[in-house]
This record gives sequence, structure tokens and C-alpha cells, in this order.
Amino acid sequence: MINRRSLLRNSLASGAGLSLLAGMNASTANAADAEPIPIGAALPMSGTAAADGIEFKNGLDLAIEEINAVGGILGRPLELHIEDTAEMGADVVSQAMQRLIDRYGTPVIVNGYNYGTNMVEMDVAADSDVIFIHYNTLISHNNKFKEDPDRYYGSFQGDPPEYYYGPGLLSYLNGLIDSGQWEPANRKIALVASSVEYSIVIANAVREFADQYGWEISLYETVQFPTNQWGPTLAKIRQDEPAVIAVTHFLPQDLAAFMTQFIPQPTNSLVYMQYGPSLPAFKEIGGESVKGVVYSTVVGCLPDDFSEGFRTAYREKFGPTAAYLTGSQTYDGLWKWALSAAIAGGAGEPYDGDQARAVSASMNRLIYRGVNGICRFDPEGQSAYTFPAQTPDASLGMPHQFLQHQDLTQDPVLVAPPAYAKGSFILPPWMS
Amino acid sequence: MSDTTQTLPKAGKTLSGGRIDLLIAALLLAMAIAAPFVIESRYMMGQLILGLFWASVAVQWNLLFGYAGVFSLGQMAVFAVGGYATAMLAYYLDLNIFLAIAAGAVIATVFSALVGLACLRLQGVYVALLTYAIAQVIYLLIVTDTNCFEMVGTTCRQFTGGATGFARFGDFGMRAILKGDWIKGNYAIVLGCFVLSMLVSWIILHGPMGLAFKALRDNQAYAVARGINRFHTQLLVFGLSAFFTGMTGGLYATHFQAIGPGIFSISSLLFILAIAVVGGVGTFWGPVVGTIVLMVADELMREVGSFRSIGLGLIIAFAVVALPRGLVGRFSDIFHKHKS
Repeated sequence: MINRRSLLRNSLASGAGLSLLAGMNASTANAADAEPIPIGAALPMSGTAAADGIEFKNGLDLAIEEINAVGGILGRPLELHIEDTAEMGADVVSQAMQRLIDRYGTPVIVNGYNYGTNMVEMDVAADSDVIFIHYNTLISHNNKFKEDPDRYYGSFQGDPPEYYYGPGLLSYLNGLIDSGQWEPANRKIALVASSVEYSIVIANAVREFADQYGWEISLYETVQFPTNQWGPTLAKIRQDEPAVIAVTHFLPQDLAAFMTQFIPQPTNSLVYMQYGPSLPAFKEIGGESVKGVVYSTVVGCLPDDFSEGFRTAYREKFGPTAAYLTGSQTYDGLWKWALSAAIAGGAGEPYDGDQARAVSASMNRLIYRGVNGICRFDPEGQSAYTFPAQTPDASLGMPHQFLQHQDLTQDPVLVAPPAYAKGSFILPPWMS
Repeated sequence: MSDTTQTLPKAGKTLSGGRIDLLIAALLLAMAIAAPFVIESRYMMGQLILGLFWASVAVQWNLLFGYAGVFSLGQMAVFAVGGYATAMLAYYLDLNIFLAIAAGAVIATVFSALVGLACLRLQGVYVALLTYAIAQVIYLLIVTDTNCFEMVGTTCRQFTGGATGFARFGDFGMRAILKGDWIKGNYAIVLGCFVLSMLVSWIILHGPMGLAFKALRDNQAYAVARGINRFHTQLLVFGLSAFFTGMTGGLYATHFQAIGPGIFSISSLLFILAIAVVGGVGTFWGPVVGTIVLMVADELMREVGSFRSIGLGLIIAFAVVALPRGLVGRFSDIFHKHKS
């Protein structure tokens, strides 16, 4: 159980937020006596994405514990309610969110990601006047928001859209070449995407910008989601060796399988992957074969001093193998909302459009430094700004982090962007 | 239940199967009409709409398998074709959504009839394999479509919607008319279409066509010898079941304002099969009862977390082992035993 003193001592990461919230709560009643504010979360607690769903819940649990320890929001403690979205999809997720609103009266729903929803969640939030924060990492959020900003005022994407992975990767590769860290054999990229929106949009964005950055797409392969049979794809890659293999599929177990099938007959290619390598399962399943893999994420807990308190608290509470990189997303999302709601004078309740709009305005104004870096919403799409692709100012955008598995006994090394890097890129063991 | 003359024990009067069906239909319809007036929760209304979608698809699959004996696993593909056709017609041609749904139903019918043609020389499990394979081919064609058809903002859209699918192509217009009660308007439309599909199914099953379906299912050689044209009948049943399945797909896409390749998932198909199995394959009310039982059970088990899936699995396993003719079949057996 966290008490106020240990919390303030240990949690450097949320220190500013804690002080701010504690200050705002100073004149209000004891949180324990007040009516709780229900917090909703529609998470994939079972099914293929369950590992992430559990971490998303962990992030919320920790944030709630910390917020409640300083008096909740204006004296009201927070209480978490979860709905399992299992295999996800538009019908399941929208109904799960509606259930949270109807049954518990949640003024806010903080999801991790749910795929296959076509962003219908935004309609549920708009129809019920609740704040909705998610980490679907989709450009379709921005596109939908732009269609009717007044209707979707309460929907926020807590991280940058996946679209920015495209130019971000190409810029990173050119940076490696320009700095002399890597000499590619050619300028070919083999793109391997899986059949989900997130993966396809990233692959398309790489393809779209490749020419502009001086690269050629030599292979564009789409595989089923999920998959662990990479033989046919690897055969095509081996036929025409590319300088880079970019796998935009994201499930850790499948990506680990890719590496175990790639290593027996590797090509002289840099292997870049999406998201999955940040999860413990990737290293556990892939073992030595994953050493040297580069991956990136537009959202994830930074390995800096600022977030050390969070990382320590997270692993103390949820175990040494808990993936704080995932839990950090909902953790930051809830903290940002809690501060915004306190500034706006309260969390409100469903169908109270005036208060929800006040909280939304507060969220847009507040530039929040969380454990994932800066969260500042782009008014054009109401997603977090990404640094450096969208803004050159590191203090105004969430860093697009590039990491590499170098020493399997340690956490992956953050190798870019330079403002946050903790080490340098090393040539993977299979490359000459 | 609806094919014989039956006696209600307490009333002591003889009722024909048709009258019993009418009685059940009137009771269910009255409850369905009363629902929006007594249910305040938007979530519960949403669940009712979802139940109507699944019941409608299961009713049509029951027509195909339960009555005509065609073991098709392409039902969700037909549903998806209806949904996709509706979305694409509304999105690309700006067609009125109700016209798009009707056109989607027709396109699904044509698609299903073509599948039916491909299955004409096959029987039993081979029909299942072929129809499932066709569904998977369509799924793969959609998700592997990565070519840019048009630019939407900064991203490209594939002609089929690719892995993303379609969204925001139109709705029933109920938000503009009923404001906060829009879901009740959607419910009325979906309920109306469901009643229509049930009515048409009932008429077909109680006419010569229904008898032909059952004759082919029970003894194909004898049925053909008696002059039933297998080619026409099988094509007809594929087309008829597809019209309402496709229409339901269009309604689903419009209600959720989204349709994506996830609808082809095996879990959706298995849920439809489970509904029919629990309710009773080859019984008119089986799919409706199966939908009610499975959706209520799912709702009650929401609080038990990961045991929810196990619980649903146990119900289905129990139905397969202990109720081979489903709940309605079992009830019918008890009813007849008691009568005799």
C-alpha cells in the first residue's frame, strides 16, 4: 500500500503532477470519505492481446493508487472498472464502453489499444459526453476528429499516430548512414506487414516516403494476423537481399518466431521491427536470436532518471518481468486526465456536456511531462505530437524512440533520438 | 414444433403448429416492442440490437443447414459481403443508406447463389470446406489489398478498405431525428427487418419450397425421384438465406458505422453455429432461443472475468452432449411425451 510520504519520496516521475494535484486537493475533504469517481477501461484482458491488456490495467491501478494517496480529484477518490474486450472489433469494444458508461457512470474511459474498431469508440464517447483517452496509435483517429471536431471534442489519442513511424524510420536509417555507424550494401527495404490497420498504415507510410529519403522498396509482403510461419516470406527476402528488413507486424511471439527462423540463414540486413520487441515475451521466446534487433515506439516509458520512480514502483508492485513500457501509457493518460479534471473543477459525469468540454479544454491546454515524455495534443487531430517528425522541439512532442536489443540480460538500449539516447547503435551479430 | 398438431395440456385445447408459432411470435414481438419503453440503458438496447443481428444470421443459417441440410460455413462471408457492399455503395457512390442496404442484400444473394453453384456437386463436409475456403479467400483478398485507391487526408485508402475497412459512410439518420434516443430508432429499424426475415422464413418453410428443402435433407435420392429439382432448390436456398443475411450485414455496418475484415473471424462464425446448436438446429425458434440463452449467459458471466469464456464453452458442450436437438428440440420432445 502506498502512503503519501513514500509516494512523494519515490515517484520522481509523477512528482510535478503529485504536487499540483495535492495542492489543489489541500482545501477539500478527505478522499476516503467522498463518493468515488468511477474510471472506465475497456481492455483486451483475454485473447491474443491479453498480455498488453493486463499491463494497461496495471498502469491504471498504479496511477489510481498514487492519485488517491494525494486526495483523489478535489477530494474524491478514483475507482477502476474494467470491461474485457477479448478479441476486440467495433461491436465488442463499443458495447464494452457503453456498459461502463451505463452501469458505472464513468466520466472518463482510458483504454490501451483495441484494434479492428474503426474508431467507433469516438462515437460512444461523443454520444455520452465522456472523455475518452486511448493508445490505438492510429491516424484514423485524427482523420475522424477532423471531420467533426465539435462532436469528437472528448476523444484523445494519448500517443502519436502510427503514420509517423514511416518518415521516422527512414530518417533514423539515414542518420545511421550519415553518422558512419552503418554502411548498407544497397538501398533496398523489404517491408513485411500483417493484415491489421496499424501494421498496414506503417508499411504504406514507409513505402510512401521511401523514394523521398533515397530508398527503394524491393519487397512488400502482407502476412496473416497473427502468424508464426515465416518460411515463405523469408524465402522471398533471401532471393533479393535487402539492406533493411522492416517488419511492421507487432505481436511479440510472432516477431520472436521471425527471428528464430531468420537466424539459421540470415541476410546481411538490418532488422527493424514494430512494438513487439519492447515486450518481455519477445526476448523470452526469441532468446539469443533477437540480439541486435532494432525497434521503435512512438510511446513508451523513457529509461531516464525522471521515470525511474515509476519503473521501480511498477516492478515492485507487479513483479520483475512486468512490462512497464506498456503500463506507462495508461498511467500517463490517467494522470493527465486527473490533473485536467482537477483544474477544470471536477470530473463531471456522463451526459454533462458542459463539464466534459471544460475537462477537454483543460487537457488541450495542459502540456504534461509524463514517464513517456511530453504529451501535448495536436489541435488538428487531438493526438499527441511526435518529436522529431512533427515538432523539432523535444520539449513539445513525445519522443519517437529507437531501441536495440544489445545485452539480453539488460533492458534494450535507447539509441535515438539523441536528446534521450542512452547508448549507440551496434552492428547486429549476423551482419558483416 | 410447428409441423404437427399439438395439445396444450392445461388448456386442453388442440392447437396447430402454426397457431403455436403465432402465439410465440406475438408474445416475443410484444416484448420486443415494449423493450425501448422500459429499458433506459443504451448498453442494454445495444445488446438487444446485437442479439437481433446474431439471431437473424443464425435463423438464415438454420434455413440452410437445419432445413435444407447444406452444411455451409460461409455464412459470415455472406454477412460481410452485405455489410461491405452497403458501405462501399454509400461511401463511393453516396447512395442513400437504405438503398445501399437493399442493394447490399441483392449483391449478397448473387454472391451466395454463385457459391451455391460451386457447391452443387458436393455434399456434407465438402460443402463446409469449400464455403469456408471461399470465405477465407475473400478475407485474404481484402486484407492483402494494400494498393492506394485514393488519398484520405495524409493516408491512402484501398478500394476494399484493406485491413482498415470502412467507417463513416452514413447512418440511419436517427441521431438527427431522435437526438439522445437515437439507439431506439436504430432498434426499431433492426427489429422491423428481423421480423420481416422471420416472417419470410416461416412462409417459405410452411410452403412447398420448405417441404422440398426438408425432403432433400432427409432423403435426397427419394426427393429427386419424386421430382424435386436439386439444382433449383439448392440454388434457391442459398439465395434466400443470403438475402436476409446480407441485409443484416448492411444493417450491422450501418448501426456501428463501421465494417472491417474482423467480421470474417472464426469466432464470429462459431458464435452463430453455437446459437443454432444451443437453440436447436432444424427448429424454427431454435436460433432465437439460442441467441437469448447465450447472450443472457454471457451477460451474467461478465463479472467472473476469465471464466466467462469457459462458462460459455461449457454451455455449448452441454448442449452438444445432452441436448442434441437443442433447447427447443428438447422442449418439443417433452411436450409431445407429455401429450401422449
